[in-house]
Amino acid sequence: MAVSDLAHASKVSASARGGHVDIARLSVLALVAVLALLPLLAGGFLLYSLSLSIANAVAVLSVSMLVRYGGEVSIGHSFFVALGAYAVAIVEHRLGLSIAVSLPLAILLGAGGGFIFAFPSRRLSGIYLAVATMALALALPEILIGFEKFTGGFEGLYIAQDLVPGVSKALQRYYVTLVVLIVVCLALAHFRKSAQGLALLMAQAQPRAAEAMGITRSWARISIFTVSAALASLAGALTGFASSTVSPNSFTFFSGVFLLVGSVVSLNRLSLPAALVGGAFITLVPTYLAKAGDWVPILYGVALVAVTLAANAGDLRRFVPGRRAR
Amino acid sequence: MSVAGFIRDILPLLWSGTISGCLYGVGALGLVMVFKSSRVVNFSHGNLACLGAFVVFGFSSGSLLSLSWASAVALALGIACAIAVMSYAVIAPIVFKSDLASTIATLGVGLILQGAVQLVFGADIVNLDLPVPRFNFSLGAIRVSSYDLAVLVVTLAIVGSLFVIIERTKLGVAFRAVSTNPFACEVCGLNLRSVHLFSWLAGAVLGLVAALLIVPTTFLSSTTVPSFMLQAFTAAVVGGFSSLPGAAVGGILVGVAMNLFSFYVAPEFMNTFLLGVILLTLNFFPNGLLERAIGGRV
Repeated sequence: MAVSDLAHASKVSASARGGHVDIARLSVLALVAVLALLPLLAGGFLLYSLSLSIANAVAVLSVSMLVRYGGEVSIGHSFFVALGAYAVAIVEHRLGLSIAVSLPLAILLGAGGGFIFAFPSRRLSGIYLAVATMALALALPEILIGFEKFTGGFEGLYIAQDLVPGVSKALQRYYVTLVVLIVVCLALAHFRKSAQGLALLMAQAQPRAAEAMGITRSWARISIFTVSAALASLAGALTGFASSTVSPNSFTFFSGVFLLVGSVVSLNRLSLPAALVGGAFITLVPTYLAKAGDWVPILYGVALVAVTLAANAGDLRRFVPGRRAR
Repeated sequence: MSVAGFIRDILPLLWSGTISGCLYGVGALGLVMVFKSSRVVNFSHGNLACLGAFVVFGFSSGSLLSLSWASAVALALGIACAIAVMSYAVIAPIVFKSDLASTIATLGVGLILQGAVQLVFGADIVNLDLPVPRFNFSLGAIRVSSYDLAVLVVTLAIVGSLFVIIERTKLGVAFRAVSTNPFACEVCGLNLRSVHLFSWLAGAVLGLVAALLIVPTTFLSSTTVPSFMLQAFTAAVVGGFSSLPGAAVGGILVGVAMNLFSFYVAPEFMNTFLLGVILLTLNFFPNGLLERAIGGRV
């Protein structure tokens, strides 16, 4: 199949760039080493917020992936994050099982939810999906409160079980989330070069060419959203595990918008450093600017507008005399 | 449920659903006008309307000034229009390049407005009534209040004048032309920016009017008006998102459906119901419920 040829070609060109790849790889490895050693320096509340930032970084990646591969915005990914978080909490409460069981379950639930949600707007332009995700984000709080029997209502549920016995709670939260984030980044990097990843990118960039190869646009849209929602749900499971609690307070309408803010601030990139920047931005800013509460939405709004304008202003060069973008 | 009871309940439900539906329709018209001309989904619509309603409250209740209601509304309209112009100015550099990026930028504008409301007016819940004399009368099983009449009159007036502007004036012709084929308009020397600006201003006015009329039925807080706009978004989707009559009729359909749902099923799952309406409409009527009946265009 032609797409696998493309995949091969892109692998070849990536390795032909040799030098650059090595420098990039080395710096990412250095970053991983720093992250792995961080608990030696930081402890207590800082380590806790770092664990949450890492969990949120996975959520940011899920939104970025949707933008990158699907060209679509979602402000309702908080729904899938909540799905994963509550899956972990409810499995522990009802069945007494740890995250080892509920993490895969969360991924499956997220994928299923994403598929059902993306299916109706499969043939429509992305704005319809964006509007539908707004409804998703607004419906989430009332679902969480309405199904009190399962979700614990306003108070939420606690998550107490450890994954690795004998390791302190703080370290466990940190290292489990970190390992999952690294695995997700590696998987995304691999996906970018795989035949499937290229096929999805082609369906976005050249829908007709893709269709000629048997990849319909609606199939591509549904599968991207499904994968993205599964990733968000995985991030939710991590968030629940890292914060040891789930409650409707952490899943308001704005949490979905904030995930998009994190994605935009990280320029929708799918790399480890970008995800960390996005995750840290949406986790640490509200934590450490708690006194300036009402300024947080303003700060996020300004960041969203400024980064969006700057990222798209590249095309402004067209207006400079003597230079043509195309 | 007895048949007699059903008949007694259904008429008032339909009536009050129609009244609130008018307002969802007015909110949706603002969204659709902006979308038709500039291809941007304006997520700051609700936040701007909320800010405007709070300005009316602040200037008429004495918390900032104690002006008369009418002058407070005039001031709020001025402020809302100024902010609409500024919002459009923010996305103007990217509006022709990327619908997606412009839509994200409107979310940023919405966040800024939301933060501004919380900063100036706090997280308080306040009441903001309409200055209309209170009276009621019965029409068969339906109780009609002065509020209902005010909503009907204002909706008809504003939809009527919008219709006249779009059908009869040069600006309206330009608006219809731009929403049909922006490229041809540019070739003909039409200024797309001024048409965009017109639709953004109209959107701001429609949003504020809808917010001022819906607030008396609940209360005003920094979150009620933005979440009220979900009804407007649903109405727009039901109407096909690019049809003005569709948005108006969609509003009434959504209003009636919501009333029936909350009375007979579960009032605490309103947004979930709207989510369901949106998904079902997108699946079965991607161009709106009224596509066959009135066509997708004005």
